[in-house]
Amino acid sequence: MNRNAIVIIVVMAAVALMLFAGVRMARPRAGVVKLSPVGKNGSVAPDFELQSLDGKPMRLSDFRGKAVLLNFWATWCAPCKIEMPWFVDLQKQYASQGLQVIGVAMDDSGEEAIAKFAKQMAVNYPVLIGKEAVGDAYGGVEFLPTTFIIDRQGKVVDRVFGLVSRSEFEDGIKKALGGATPAAQASAKEPAR
Amino acid sequence: MRSARLGFAAGFVLALVAAGAAMDDTASPQTPSWVTPLPVAKISVKSGKPAKLELRFKVADGYHINSNQPGSELLIPTKLQLNPPTDIGVGSITYPKGHDLTLAIAPDQPLNVYSGGFTITAKVSAMRTASPGKYKVHGQLKYQACNDRSCFPPKLAPVDFEVQVLKRTSASGTAHNPAQSPHAHN
Repeated sequence: MNRNAIVIIVVMAAVALMLFAGVRMARPRAGVVKLSPVGKNGSVAPDFELQSLDGKPMRLSDFRGKAVLLNFWATWCAPCKIEMPWFVDLQKQYASQGLQVIGVAMDDSGEEAIAKFAKQMAVNYPVLIGKEAVGDAYGGVEFLPTTFIIDRQGKVVDRVFGLVSRSEFEDGIKKALGGATPAAQASAKEPAR
Repeated sequence: MRSARLGFAAGFVLALVAAGAAMDDTASPQTPSWVTPLPVAKISVKSGKPAKLELRFKVADGYHINSNQPGSELLIPTKLQLNPPTDIGVGSITYPKGHDLTLAIAPDQPLNVYSGGFTITAKVSAMRTASPGKYKVHGQLKYQACNDRSCFPPKLAPVDFEVQVLKRTSASGTAHNPAQSPHAHN
């Protein structure tokens, strides 16, 4: 085998190694979740239709003109349980200014268990039965809680991954409400319940 | 010239193999794992004499999983499910006690969890009908992991180990014949 052949083998081996390493390094590491740009700040929140706990279909677009706090949660999620009373309070506090909190339950424990949990938590906002496709539309809700704060025009102003403080949610809500225009407020319609 | 072509072909095959190996590793949907089963020490049993099985697990740094008794029916407990072959029995599964974990943001709501490493024990036995040899036991650990701010959907970690069934011996040390005295060790 002449020198050229050896050089070619070495180069090809190096390329192969780089290819192997590149593909492996592109994979998410354990515990690190890659986030998709879908649902990023400034983008329009994907519309969806999900069933509420009372069996009625509900769409995100039903709330256009309102600021929406869209919270993905599950009954088995301890941090979700911590923030839910905050959302109950925030819904009370900002409802008159046009806030609507929406909970999307992403677990398979059944509607009855979800309803029982929501009742225990004295939830005063609609709880919808989540579907993976909706989570995917929001970039893949790979951990909970995940919350999107959406302004009156339907644009995502804040994405909150995991548990943060109540005041951080409140700041996002104010931002979403602040984007209000008189026209938008006037066109705010009541959701079909 | 022939050598150069050979070299190119060899390199090309090498590149294809490497790419294939890397792609194969990513072919199945990769979701992060937070619990890793550690290798199980070889376990040997004799019929009528159960052996202690220790299954050790490592929880990824910075994460915790609910213990087997998380203290709330809503939380998903860690649970081991084993499917031994017909001639092997697995029982008395014992879970370690978890430790209380209080999140800084909710000091009044402690959770009972496993973090770092933990060991589940069980008793493994061989039926009288079991022939000496190696038996594979498969199963899974169901767990639900969180860190101090987020929780991840429940997951299953595969658990596999091998049981070596030893030849039964009578008191005199000779091979026991179960067909002649099937109830000798009841």
